[in-house]
Amino acid sequence: MSAHNENTGQLDLLADMGRNFADSGDIGSVFKTGLERIALTLEAEGGALFLLDGPLNDEGTKLVCNASFGPVDIAGLTIDADDGIVGRAVNSNCAEIVRDVTKDPNFNIEIDKESGFTTRSILCAPLAVKDEKIGAIEMVNKKGGDNLFTVEDLKLLETLAASASLAILNARMAAELVEKEKMRRELELAAEIQKSLLPADGEPDSPVAGVNLPARVVSGDFFDFFVLDDGRTCFTLADVSGKGMNAALLMAKTASLFRCLGKETPYPGILIAKINAEINETATRGMFVTMLVGVYDPETGTVRFANAGHEPPLLHHPDGSVDDFEASMPPVGVLPDIGMGKTPVETTINLEGGAFYIFTDGVTEGYIGEEELGAEGFNNLIKKGKELLPAERINGVATHLKEGSELLRDDVTILVVDDGAAFKERTANKVQGKNRAETDVIYGHRHGHGPGNEEIAKISVPARPESLKIVRRVVEGAVASCGLGKDTVQDIVLCVDEACQNVIRHAYAGIKPEKNKNEMIISVSSGQQILIIGIRDFAPRIDPDKVHPRELDDVRPGGLGTHFINEVMDKVEFKVPEDGHKDNRGNLLVLSKSLK
Amino acid sequence: MEIVISEKDGVNVLALEGEVDLQTSPKLRDELLECISNKKPLVVEMSGVGYIDSSGVASLVEAFQTARSKNLEFSLAALGDAPMRVLKLARLDGVFIIHETLEDALSSNGK
Repeated sequence: MSAHNENTGQLDLLADMGRNFADSGDIGSVFKTGLERIALTLEAEGGALFLLDGPLNDEGTKLVCNASFGPVDIAGLTIDADDGIVGRAVNSNCAEIVRDVTKDPNFNIEIDKESGFTTRSILCAPLAVKDEKIGAIEMVNKKGGDNLFTVEDLKLLETLAASASLAILNARMAAELVEKEKMRRELELAAEIQKSLLPADGEPDSPVAGVNLPARVVSGDFFDFFVLDDGRTCFTLADVSGKGMNAALLMAKTASLFRCLGKETPYPGILIAKINAEINETATRGMFVTMLVGVYDPETGTVRFANAGHEPPLLHHPDGSVDDFEASMPPVGVLPDIGMGKTPVETTINLEGGAFYIFTDGVTEGYIGEEELGAEGFNNLIKKGKELLPAERINGVATHLKEGSELLRDDVTILVVDDGAAFKERTANKVQGKNRAETDVIYGHRHGHGPGNEEIAKISVPARPESLKIVRRVVEGAVASCGLGKDTVQDIVLCVDEACQNVIRHAYAGIKPEKNKNEMIISVSSGQQILIIGIRDFAPRIDPDKVHPRELDDVRPGGLGTHFINEVMDKVEFKVPEDGHKDNRGNLLVLSKSLK
Repeated sequence: MEIVISEKDGVNVLALEGEVDLQTSPKLRDELLECISNKKPLVVEMSGVGYIDSSGVASLVEAFQTARSKNLEFSLAALGDAPMRVLKLARLDGVFIIHETLEDALSSNGK
């Protein structure tokens, strides 16, 4: 064979093996075809291609026959990496010719015994590219003549082996690429499913809106919101610890639980407690979720929320001032029981035309050039966009972060609850004489009156029927946060409503509103196993002895409220207010219920 | 609170929805008495009622008594958990005629 032909032969081999792989995508058939070509060229009776199944120097690395040619198929045969003539060639990285195998100490006769084939002479060349040892190629028994390979044959095998090594490496790299491409497509599918877990874009002027920009293909953050039958919106934003696929999967689970349980239980504290219990049951060790769940009522402007270890949300008031609120519960997935105890976990605030922002640390820790955005930077961006619609405003912040640095380091997720439009509507209604309650909600976690009592909620409203709805909402949230069952919560809400009705209808009866405001203050506190609700008014003193429940046998309209209160509550007391408020004028009704 | 009044097989159906409280119950009372004044049996369909207080219950009691005085059938249908609890608290669950569904109420009125 001339030098020219040899070169052409090698190039052909390389090209054919490449084409073969591109056609079939099957690396095994590439080996087999390549081996056959070499065996035919060398006129060998049989041949085998052995590849290392790991780095040569690693313990336990074997040589595996990936393809064989000839009368006996030994594909799949596995030998130690230093076994036989093949092992010697791989280790020494030298091609060799063994004219009589019986005289070679390394010859492994066992293979012949098993296969029934008689090996007389062997031609063996290592497969390697630069320093990377791949395996070896072996030719057995030259056909015709004296059955002996020549030195020319050895040279030819060496050059063909070099080509084959390249082709094998190429095919392996191509296979890896294919595998990576498959993974990428799977990730894209996962990302698509994740996106479907986020709520669809609402109306452009929706008061509740969210944005999520994943730093990678999949995200560990999510937000969600849906409108309840009564017009309130239940929302959440959460951040799963860690990144990548495991975080994405836990995110999917948490998101589904929120959707599923949130419609049944729109009480933030209880909802988080339920999600936590569910996640703890099948927890992945070391993973947790920080999340904030809230309910926004556009009719009153109140947001009731519970925060499980998440970044403090920010309330931007219309006058430009900003408040933040610390977390009240540990993150979800850390402790089996959270939010079930006596400690109140919910906070109720009145947005009064302001906007409430919840976000992940990817926002404040996002980079603009070389600088972190920070809380101040975030607040400035929000203020700059205050004329924009809520969705546009937060999208603007997200875009700013995306364009601010080459790579997002962390997922960016923001949710806004904007009371601006609803507030305008409420104010307009008031001007038209619908006199919406001038509500003064004072909420948070302060120590209430009396030892060990913690005030969960306090609300001051005008003593008018229009105020009752918000009183119910606030009391419902506060009482629900004590971990009472849904029915008991409803019963207690009914009692407070009835007590307020008595204030409106009887205590303030015939009293001309002072400065247009007959006030009543409702406070909810919890102490050692007890729930205490105070209803305070500033009307003339009433004689408690004259307040009686009506006889139930007497079926007639009216007079039921006091009966409800006595039936549901454990203790009902009229007290003389001692809060120093307006000379202690007025009445204080204290309702108690055991939490045992 | 929302009220939709319709007529089915000679029976007035007042479909009540939302929250019935001191603010909204006067309207319920007016509508109930208006319905009874046209001398047909009345069914109050309550599946959409999320909340009812003593003033709402009082309106129902007044309508019930007015209907009885005129020998008209008056019943409640499809009560949710919350209004049912309130009626039980008021021990009125045995006083009103209560049907599981509107269909039950209509077929019972036809007899």
